[in-house]
Amino acid sequence: MKRIEDQTYYELLEISPDATPKEIQQAYDRAKETFQLDSLAIYSLFPQEEVTKIQAAIEEAYRVLKDEELRRSYDQSCPHLFKHLSRAQQIHPPSEKLHEMKQGLSFTDISLEIKDIPYRGTSLKQLREQLGIDLKTIAAKTKINPRILESIENEELDRLPAPVYLKGFLKAYARVLNIDPQRLIEGYFQLFQERKKK
Amino acid sequence: MGGHSQRVIWTIGGGKGGSGKSFITTNIGVCLSKMGTRVILIDADLGGANLHTFLGILPPVPTLSDFIKKRVTQLHDLLIQTNIPNLKLLTGAQDLLNAADAKNVQKRKLLRSIKDLESDYILVDLGGGNALNVLDFFLMSDGGILVVTPEPTAIENTYRFLKSAFYRRLKQTVSSYSAKTLIDQTMDPKNEAGIQTPYDLFQEVKRINEEDGRRMMEEASKFHPNLILNQVRSKKDIEIGFSMRSACHQYFGIHLHYLGYIVFDQEVSNSIRKRKPLMVENDKSKAAQCLKEIAFRLAHSGSLDSFN
Repeated sequence: MKRIEDQTYYELLEISPDATPKEIQQAYDRAKETFQLDSLAIYSLFPQEEVTKIQAAIEEAYRVLKDEELRRSYDQSCPHLFKHLSRAQQIHPPSEKLHEMKQGLSFTDISLEIKDIPYRGTSLKQLREQLGIDLKTIAAKTKINPRILESIENEELDRLPAPVYLKGFLKAYARVLNIDPQRLIEGYFQLFQERKKK
Repeated sequence: MGGHSQRVIWTIGGGKGGSGKSFITTNIGVCLSKMGTRVILIDADLGGANLHTFLGILPPVPTLSDFIKKRVTQLHDLLIQTNIPNLKLLTGAQDLLNAADAKNVQKRKLLRSIKDLESDYILVDLGGGNALNVLDFFLMSDGGILVVTPEPTAIENTYRFLKSAFYRRLKQTVSSYSAKTLIDQTMDPKNEAGIQTPYDLFQEVKRINEEDGRRMMEEASKFHPNLILNQVRSKKDIEIGFSMRSACHQYFGIHLHYLGYIVFDQEVSNSIRKRKPLMVENDKSKAAQCLKEIAFRLAHSGSLDSFN
């Protein structure tokens, strides 16, 4: 257990040192909500001066981490952060906490997020199957031809429609699964680039 | 407790009356038994044992107190088969928990007898309140589950329970008299030592007895209670579970495991009025879906750490 003052900015926001800007933003929003003075989740737990201290620490962590430049120099000032990370991950891959966060997000009705897995066709299929939805349902909801959906999932790039249509299809599919459409599109188009290189 | 281990004992407690502990105990029990595992429900609610009502059966005649008073020699003989295959009920544990003088040895012995019962899962409904016996049972089980509703009163009671359990656990760990005294003092918010948080306590104990300080830290890191949020009505309510996890991490330095939530659903009270478990009466309802998810997590919790 560490005192607030002794925690790294990453520990304060409960994120990993390689968190993306989006993850930082989400973590900050949640931490801010959690440690508001009138927050239910901390009711009767902390003395008020402790809450004020935590709030200030969270703000400072966010101020530094959201700024690329500041974050870089912060990271450089504590190199043990990353050494620690890689060593810890070698021992218990993946850390229990991250694992649970993913699990947490899979709660019914909460938007699902495939965090570390790249957003690809195969992961779409995996996620769809996990949710127990068949392709027909997706086709009915998105009004996309099931054959195209299949090609999307199987990453049969040469069978896919022009990018402008593909984008629309991916967006529709992502909405049904309740995942971030933008990330899916980005991930999918990266696939094209990778294949090209080969 | 190993990943494959049999006879996992879960205790459901903490918080205040009316948060849904008995309802949840019953229905998770039904879920697990439907998955084909053997389940025993134990009613140890001091405030009013009524798991039998949730199951629609009459209050059983022989109870655990007959075993404690040695009128019945085999705990096994007290089990009642419910209307649901694989699901049995044992009542009367409240008598033991109520006995202020129940010795630790006695409690451990009962726990051992319970653990020897032929079953895969044993769910103990501890009811509300934080009597020492209740805390001990919570701490001795393989996993303690707190049930809380998104209301300040329920959350306050949950934290009160958690603090009591946490400090009791620590007190049982340290060996020096001075450290034990210090822990007792900490439970009084206006203590002379000026100790406000668990962190202050760790520092203070470390100062007077390095070994005890180390042991306490170690014990705290092994304390992983579980949380179920009941009667949620919005996404914001769901988030409270994650926030409570963060709060416990900051305050106690412990990992509170958020097992899941159950949405507010009229079907719940309909099923209770009919004296039938929701999982039997309407297993397609929203609340039932949530319960299934939680039962699934419990059944696959080989990786969840135990207290012991």
